[in-house]
Amino acid sequence: MKRREFIYRSVAASVASGALFTMGRWNTLMASGTNLSLPFDLVAVKNGRPAEMFDKGIAALGGMKNFVKPNQTVVIKPNIGWDSGPERAANTNPELVGHIVKHCLNAGAKKVTVFDNTCDEWTRCYKNSGIEKAVKDNGGQMVTGKMKNHYHPVDITRGVSLKKNKVHELILESDVFINVPVLKNHGGATMSLTMKNLMGAVWDRRYYHANDLHQCIADFATYCKPDLNVIDGFRVLKKNGPRGVSVNDVATMKYQILSTDMVAADTAATKVFGIETDRVGHIGIAEKMGVGTTDLDSLNIKRISI
Amino acid sequence: MKKQRWLRPARIIISLLFLGGFLLVFSDVKAKLPSEITLFFTSFQFLPSILKFSHLPGIIASGFILILLLTILSGRIYCSTFCPLGIIMDILGYFKRKLPVKGKRRKYKKPLNFIRYPILGLAIVSLFFTGIIALNLLDPYANFGRIASTIYQPVFIAVNNLLSKILIGLEIYSVHPLTEKIFQPLPFFGGLTILLTIVLMVVVRDRLYCNTICPVGAILGLLSKVSFLKIKISSTSCTRCGLCQSSCKANCINIKELKVDETRCISCFNCIDVCEESSIAYEIVWKNKAVKTTKTDSSKRSFIKAGLVFLGAYPVLAKAGEVQEDSHPKRYCTRGPISPPGSQSIQHLKDHCIGCQLCISVCPSRVLQPAFLEYGFTGMMLPRLDNKVGFCNFECTKCGEVCPSGAIVPLTTIEKKTTQIGTVQFRQRLCIVESEGTACGSCSEHCPTQAVYMVPYKNDLTIPEVNPDICVGCGACEHACPVIEPHPAIYVYPNDTHQKALEPVTEKVEVETTEEFPF
Repeated sequence: MKRREFIYRSVAASVASGALFTMGRWNTLMASGTNLSLPFDLVAVKNGRPAEMFDKGIAALGGMKNFVKPNQTVVIKPNIGWDSGPERAANTNPELVGHIVKHCLNAGAKKVTVFDNTCDEWTRCYKNSGIEKAVKDNGGQMVTGKMKNHYHPVDITRGVSLKKNKVHELILESDVFINVPVLKNHGGATMSLTMKNLMGAVWDRRYYHANDLHQCIADFATYCKPDLNVIDGFRVLKKNGPRGVSVNDVATMKYQILSTDMVAADTAATKVFGIETDRVGHIGIAEKMGVGTTDLDSLNIKRISI
Repeated sequence: MKKQRWLRPARIIISLLFLGGFLLVFSDVKAKLPSEITLFFTSFQFLPSILKFSHLPGIIASGFILILLLTILSGRIYCSTFCPLGIIMDILGYFKRKLPVKGKRRKYKKPLNFIRYPILGLAIVSLFFTGIIALNLLDPYANFGRIASTIYQPVFIAVNNLLSKILIGLEIYSVHPLTEKIFQPLPFFGGLTILLTIVLMVVVRDRLYCNTICPVGAILGLLSKVSFLKIKISSTSCTRCGLCQSSCKANCINIKELKVDETRCISCFNCIDVCEESSIAYEIVWKNKAVKTTKTDSSKRSFIKAGLVFLGAYPVLAKAGEVQEDSHPKRYCTRGPISPPGSQSIQHLKDHCIGCQLCISVCPSRVLQPAFLEYGFTGMMLPRLDNKVGFCNFECTKCGEVCPSGAIVPLTTIEKKTTQIGTVQFRQRLCIVESEGTACGSCSEHCPTQAVYMVPYKNDLTIPEVNPDICVGCGACEHACPVIEPHPAIYVYPNDTHQKALEPVTEKVEVETTEEFPF
């Protein structure tokens, strides 16, 4: 146990010291070995099935091999927060998650794990979202996000409101982190997108709600930068989010957004959803803190319509 | 006489299968086991089955009739084969005999009827004054459930989690850890007390509990007097060696008079197994001299009277005692316990729940916790929703599906979604959005019906507003509320009698699709 703690502490320390030397793009502990120049800053795909859109999107970014090197470990963090089926769009589309697992393994990943710190009872969420089956069918492994001893303390050095939290060991240990939120309305955070989805990677969410939710979401985004973000906009929960009351809340919009920049991806997603980006507090705060940019015009964007 | 060799092994195999089944049922921490399997094992339990039959008559609830018929046919087979507590006592007894300390040889003992029947009588009489609490405390299955839930299950979870940890270390993720909060002091010590009592009674005399304390044992014992199949000693071939007497867990074989006290014999067939002369056998006894005697058995008569009163009064009793509607404001600090969906009302729960802890053991979100004094003294160990621990999963109907006594009536998912066990109460001055001026919405986020929804507030913020009519009282909002002191800003106030919630109305969202990308 002591050895483990030591490793986590030293990883955290190395990140902290690394921060001093890192200019511009903030590299976190897991962004190892993917120092690449991608052909596009952001790829938006529409009018296809989730898997099909991902195929086109990832191809435009040069394929999964740009993100996953042979023998690396991958963690995928979809939104599996709720005990409801794919048609309700409260969770990430299972077809998409399964397909990403497949891409990672095809790129040579040693191990692909999937988890979420769910809101509803986790075994029911995993099962009824369809994600457990999709992941297992494609060779990935589901891990619980509900064991406190799987979370380890980290310092969020650039955090304003959130300075400490406990992060799931898969996020800390895996070589590659792929963040796969579902595009949806959110009663508290206005929208649930890439940065909001990271709340399922930490143990203490209550602190966020009690200490300026938007600031905390942005704070954590300064610390944790996924190697790739894929926003599932196939079915979109337009209201009553993040859980939804019935299928009446859902619109089939058939979008997908891929980017390494969470702020840019979230900005694009708000435009797809049809809400002003300014209204989603944490996007603006994150931009000010240097997580990314909301200025889509400054980015090299690939738009694919199937 | 031919020796009936197969009887004892058959009894042991079946009883171990049943015990295995019960342990499986109480290992179902994440409610994965089909409820039919759970019901298969629990429906043969006498008291819960009667209670279920009293208001949900049907095939599943007819287990007690089967037990009664079985007893009339073949004696107290239930006690040695289907009763999980009895099986545990046999296992404890087995280890007792393996101890290096040699106890006394078992001998015939007189029945402790002066304890047995008054206890039975008291349990039944107390029904009229205190509800079923006295029966609850004495019922063998309920006591087994308490031991299984508070002692066996935590051990099972700990072993599972250790195994999971080892496997995860080897990068194998097939065994999930189950849950973390496995040790709860109060229920644990409750369960331990029961277990130690049982151990003590086994040490004193193996089946002392069954023939002195257990109301089910007492009832079935009386019925055994008229059963067809009985243990009988042949006076011609018996050498009075006393092996049978010393093998008898119930101390009911009187070798001097070559008699077996059938009210205490639990049909374990140990005696048949040890008899070297094959002069003790399990056979049909058409004429029972003991019954023919003119001497009246006053204890039996009093039992029959009490039993008839009990059976007759039960349905009336179950309906009696409607809880009065309260008029005081729905304050957090004065609220009572929240009873599980399907339990209909606190009164119904108290009238039918035997406190076996099965629902608590299989509740996947762990929101069901044993009550201490929340329901009052007579409601100890009954399930209540503890929103500090979790909240009731909107889609889950497990507790009602497995309840053996019908205290929690099974609900379909559709029924469950409009069953209102309480209503949401919002205290705006405590809410983060008002007190801190920052966004939250945690409550609304978790609300399955949007009985809690966010409305515009100052500075682009949104604040919760509630619609109690569509609230089911699941407690998700209360569990998720970040406010702790002095109490959550949003909480559920229980409906002592459950109500029907209105279904939430939503309109289909319209989206215009454009050919162009919006950016």
